[in-house]
Amino acid sequence: MSIMDHNGGSVVAMAGKDCVAIASDLRLGAGAMTVAMNFEKIFPVTDRIYLGLTGLATDITTLRDRFRYLVNMFTIKESRSIEPSTFAHLVSSTLYSRRFGPYFTEPVLAGLERTPSGGFKPYIAGADLIGCLNFAEDFIVAGTASDKLFGVAEGLWEPDLGPEDLFETISQTLLNSVDRDAYSGWGAIVYIITPEKVITRTLKGRMD
Amino acid sequence: MPDMSAIANPQQRQFNPYAENGGTILAVAGADFTVIAGDTRQSEGYSIQTRYASKVFRLTDRAVLAVNGFAADGNMFVKKVKQRLEWYRHNHAKDMPLRSIARLIQTMLYAQRFFPYYVYNILGGIEEDGTGAVYSFDPVGSYEREACRAAGAAQSLLQPFLDNQIYFKNQTAARGYSHPAHLPLPDVLSIVIDSFTSATERHIEVGDGLEMYIVMAKGQTLPDAVTNLLPEELPSTGDGERVFVLKRDLKKD
Amino acid sequence: MFLTRSEYDRGVNTFSPEGRLFQVEYAIEAIKLGSTTVGIRTPEGVVLGVEKRVQSPLLEASSIEKIMEIDTHLGCAMSGLTADARTMVDHARVTSQNHAFTFDERIKVESVTQAVCDLALRFGESVHDEDAMMSRPFGVALLIGGVDELGPQLYHTDPSGTFVRYDAKAIGSGSEAAQSELQDKWHSQMTLREAQVLVLRVLKQVMEEKLDQHNVQLAQVTTDKGFHILDERALKEVIDTM
Repeated sequence: MSIMDHNGGSVVAMAGKDCVAIASDLRLGAGAMTVAMNFEKIFPVTDRIYLGLTGLATDITTLRDRFRYLVNMFTIKESRSIEPSTFAHLVSSTLYSRRFGPYFTEPVLAGLERTPSGGFKPYIAGADLIGCLNFAEDFIVAGTASDKLFGVAEGLWEPDLGPEDLFETISQTLLNSVDRDAYSGWGAIVYIITPEKVITRTLKGRMD
Repeated sequence: MPDMSAIANPQQRQFNPYAENGGTILAVAGADFTVIAGDTRQSEGYSIQTRYASKVFRLTDRAVLAVNGFAADGNMFVKKVKQRLEWYRHNHAKDMPLRSIARLIQTMLYAQRFFPYYVYNILGGIEEDGTGAVYSFDPVGSYEREACRAAGAAQSLLQPFLDNQIYFKNQTAARGYSHPAHLPLPDVLSIVIDSFTSATERHIEVGDGLEMYIVMAKGQTLPDAVTNLLPEELPSTGDGERVFVLKRDLKKD
Repeated sequence: MFLTRSEYDRGVNTFSPEGRLFQVEYAIEAIKLGSTTVGIRTPEGVVLGVEKRVQSPLLEASSIEKIMEIDTHLGCAMSGLTADARTMVDHARVTSQNHAFTFDERIKVESVTQAVCDLALRFGESVHDEDAMMSRPFGVALLIGGVDELGPQLYHTDPSGTFVRYDAKAIGSGSEAAQSELQDKWHSQMTLREAQVLVLRVLKQVMEEKLDQHNVQLAQVTTDKGFHILDERALKEVIDTM
């Protein structure tokens, strides 16, 4: 078994119409044993960017703190909050700096990018464990249930979903995927990011 | 001086009798019909051997078998099952019932317990009581009857999707309503086609073509929505169950 | 026939110039010495009855076993060399269990009968590489009764390996009289109880002793309850209604 699968867990992000969503399960395991059911894998970066981290739990925690530090430094030096595309490259370069001794984590980020006209554009991205970025128009998946997430998301996702429809789509995608994955599950958390607000919902699902 | 290294050092050679030929199969049982489908791409590693190799086979008027895994084993297994069905017909003067075919497949697979057919089987058709049925097997014969099952390269992509769309998993029915136990044929066909389009999109071993076998229970006719898709009807031996084939193209990239 | 004995009497699988296998014919004759056995098919099920010849008052009548279960839906009654029937019933049981194991369904009555008859002609000198076979034909005839998807059925097998389906059939020493009585009395809409009574009446006619619950045995195979041998109490109840 890969070290990437040791702790289990999955994340998915989806783009909608003027909104994005990101969701994860809540399980933390040690191999087949479940250790915790409240292990969050998605963290706010700014009030319009959320970062999801799958893979080795210790690296998730480390990277969460590291990115908080880096983003804080960026904000202070630049006197502005970081944009999703900029943050994506920060993630990429941070991971690539450990090219030959990588953090065992695959990040997924979802945010709203400010456009020149002053509006917001959905922005989602993912990366492998050494920072190769993947800018998808539709959805990004990662974690032990990634193959399942690919299948379900490909079947359920459609363009230009509003916040509530996007919530339903991402929730169904995540829930049904983690139900077929022994290493993910035990509840889920969903963030819907709109220009006005971020909606956070915790889901129960089947707890087994 | 001759090269002595070949003699001096231990040599190891190995023949691997198995290959994995990709592709995916899927079956869904309705109340009085069953749909059994498979893509037609056959690959080895990153090479496509052929874009049209059937994985779904009609066995009797009411039984269709889909085989996935090692194509050589799969084809030989189907051949042997068909031979056993013919013997049975001679010995017992009737077509083997679906549940009996399921059991026969178990015994045939388990007979090879220590040199298995590297094949995942899904058997679909109509039971003696006229209901649609799907039986799924592992390579050594463990089997169960289900309402739907995906197997093969894209099993992990499709099964949770089917859980959601066929079994309505994680969906709560509106107050005063309940989810149907079986979907109508046109709905099932849409889900099957969507499933394979999705799998083709995200799995390199799936694509090229799609073959869907529809087994209708005795006395049941195809709904207009399905007749309009112009399925080919296979010749049957009596006026009982009927088998139709629907073919669709899938992306070839 | 017995006066024209010849060398063809000896070889069990040598045809006589007239095209006969004497040993097989003699085996069929042997059955006519056996106790009378009767079988009746009705829409509800099959009834099998045998006469038990209790030759001595010291003989434990219940130890005479001439009706045997093949499977829950199959039974058989015999006449002739009952020891030979054990081999055949054993084979039938194995065949039936094997069928259930392999096909997850009850074997058809005809199929199990066919299986038993396949065995009947495996006598004679064994050929190279073959397992040793039986040296002579079976000396027993069977009435195989059972229920399958085609309904209740009754089959008769003889030592030649021939099998025929009957609505009602008698074999053994009293078979001629019994058969004509069956032909008279059988009708297609018989109830199971009527069939039980008819079996007993037929047996009573051809038996030397007075019929009671000790010297006959009755069994039935019904659609819902399968094979079942009537115990003496149930048997007496039927006898009392005769």
